Amino acid sequence: MSIADSLIAFIAVIGTLILAFFVSAWLPGIERRFQARIQQRIGPPISTPGIMAPLKFFFKEVINPNSPMPGLYNVLPIIGLIITISLLMITMPQLYVLAAFTSVIALVGLLKVEEIIYMFMGSLSQSVLSLKMPFPDIVKGAKHPGVRRSFVEELSSMRAFRLIAFGSFPIYIAIFVTVAIAKSIYISDIVSYQQIHGPILFSLAGILGAIVFFIGFMILLNEYPFAILKTKADVIEGPLLEYAAKYRAYVYISRGFLIFVLASIFSTLFLGIPPNILSWTILINIAVTLVFTMIMATVSTFSPIFTFKQFYPLVAGVSMIGILAIIASFL
Amino acid sequence: MDEDNKVTKKQVIETEVPLGTVHSAAIEPYRVRLFVEDEIVKDAEITVGVNHRGVERIMEGLPVEKANSLTEKICGICSNSHIWNSVLVAEKALGIEVPERALYIRIIMEELERLHSHMLYLAHGSEVLGHETFAMRIFYIRETVMELLRMIGGNRVQYGVPIIGGIRPRAELDLMRIQKIKDGMDFVEEKITEFAERFVSDPMVMSRITGVGILKKEDAIRLSATGPTLRATGVDIDLRRDMPEYESFEFNVITQDDGDVKANILVRVLEIPESIKIIRQAIDHLPEGKITNRSWDMEDSPVTNNYIEVPRGKLYHSYSLDDGRVRNVIIRTPSITNIGAMEYACIGYHITDAQLAIVQCDPCFTCTDRAIKIIQI
Repeated sequence: MSIADSLIAFIAVIGTLILAFFVSAWLPGIERRFQARIQQRIGPPISTPGIMAPLKFFFKEVINPNSPMPGLYNVLPIIGLIITISLLMITMPQLYVLAAFTSVIALVGLLKVEEIIYMFMGSLSQSVLSLKMPFPDIVKGAKHPGVRRSFVEELSSMRAFRLIAFGSFPIYIAIFVTVAIAKSIYISDIVSYQQIHGPILFSLAGILGAIVFFIGFMILLNEYPFAILKTKADVIEGPLLEYAAKYRAYVYISRGFLIFVLASIFSTLFLGIPPNILSWTILINIAVTLVFTMIMATVSTFSPIFTFKQFYPLVAGVSMIGILAIIASFL
Repeated sequence: MDEDNKVTKKQVIETEVPLGTVHSAAIEPYRVRLFVEDEIVKDAEITVGVNHRGVERIMEGLPVEKANSLTEKICGICSNSHIWNSVLVAEKALGIEVPERALYIRIIMEELERLHSHMLYLAHGSEVLGHETFAMRIFYIRETVMELLRMIGGNRVQYGVPIIGGIRPRAELDLMRIQKIKDGMDFVEEKITEFAERFVSDPMVMSRITGVGILKKEDAIRLSATGPTLRATGVDIDLRRDMPEYESFEFNVITQDDGDVKANILVRVLEIPESIKIIRQAIDHLPEGKITNRSWDMEDSPVTNNYIEVPRGKLYHSYSLDDGRVRNVIIRTPSITNIGAMEYACIGYHITDAQLAIVQCDPCFTCTDRAIKIIQI
């Protein structure tokens, strides 16, 4: 690769990242607006959730979280953002030269780290919401005095652990469908396969895989009805409860960016269209992102929050569809 | 553990998850300690007292008319119920005859309040379920009832309609108002039927609320549950059937057998058409005549009490009259008697269902914060 090619590749990567940031900043607003219209209300201005809110938080005073390791707790959203950026980068065609780093294994590994971060966040946060009240809890003849107190974030940390164990099955199975069809773990091979044979999405295995991928997408984003990490009825914001000021801004930015990244992974693996600012097909990436956002908003608007009683069977059922897709891919 | 997975003996609990007094699922300040093992609630403790205002103490020594209007401030949801019951105590103590037209308008107000209270319950329950869309839809329907209450009483809360001997002149119903109430009831009936059909046919919602927070009939009686919470367990009790004010009205007492969240929701949903039925009867047979009886004299009276059926169950008011001023005030709201049921209902279920099991009893903790007894001042 010549220096000129390297320079163009570099510009393409940076350009794609900037475009991704620009588009992802609008996604939370689009999602909220879409939900609001379904609920027959006006909703927030489209720029508020993804742009104005993070911007506002950057100018707020940083409040130290109630955490045994506040430094580490605060840095976790930044790590999450870096991982999300890495996820997008490994799907970019300019970086396919990195071979193993641009394989499905790397993709799955980074997604796992993204999930683990929630577990760390939960175990490092101890908000005031779960403090004991000595008078009514101990002195006044309360039930079970002296019981170990659990913070609500600890509860969500345990849930994050369970999600790592089984909740992310659907998305990994869906990714594996494309591997089974293209018979390669390299993203470049999966893209090349689709350029020759057409998009995987337009096959039976691809359709089933896409459904499974979408469910996995919603689980990874902790969106209703899969928001067990952030259930309003018990753990509230869960692991994110103690983030304030710029660190909360990072959380917001990360989430918007993750929507774009996961939709781009879908475009890459199921349509054979990797995110590349040098090609007009980047518009398809953006269109897929918008479609994903709107479908997600619709599903979440019409769903209650699931508990594990609903979650386990649903994940098992969706995973079974994923396995059927893999079987179909061998036929 | 017994066959229902409830704690029957004292046992060592591993972990406590305290929720409140400020919590996103609680619309009022209260505190619940959930004792959990692997996210399953093994025991629960609800503490109230954060919002105590001592209304009874403030009422002591006030002229009875002022004291009555103060009772309205006890609750923002069932304010009419409080002032109505307080006025009924005075009327009972002084033997005051109330014009029939005023009685009918009081019934209309009470049933409109029941409608908005039950719809608030449905909306809050939907929010705790995580189903904001249902909550928004029900608030949209409730708005009609709130506007009718504003039209009659002048406020969306604390309408101040009943006074001793009748109702305020402002609450008189003319033909235009009667027509608006009729139209409003048609709208609410149509929309609530659509909502109920959507609600019960949603498999995801049904899977969240069926078999959750079960309260058996005998447990509900033992724990002194009241109102729709008790009726959801199959106990056929509605004080309205025994209240002389409701003698001229035909309505069905709604009961369900399961005692779970679904049964509680269904009881309230099905009570909405019954309330509409009562309002229509009151409008159709609204007697002509005056709305206030002013020919009564203030006398001293011993402690007099009265029970009425309000949206959440039985409401108790009692006080004595001494030189036109109230003494020995005791008020008991339905939520205080439902607290035992709330604690019991969340045991044995997932921690996410605990708030749902509490909310199914339709708690109103701000009005509950008054469990005091003033013996003599």
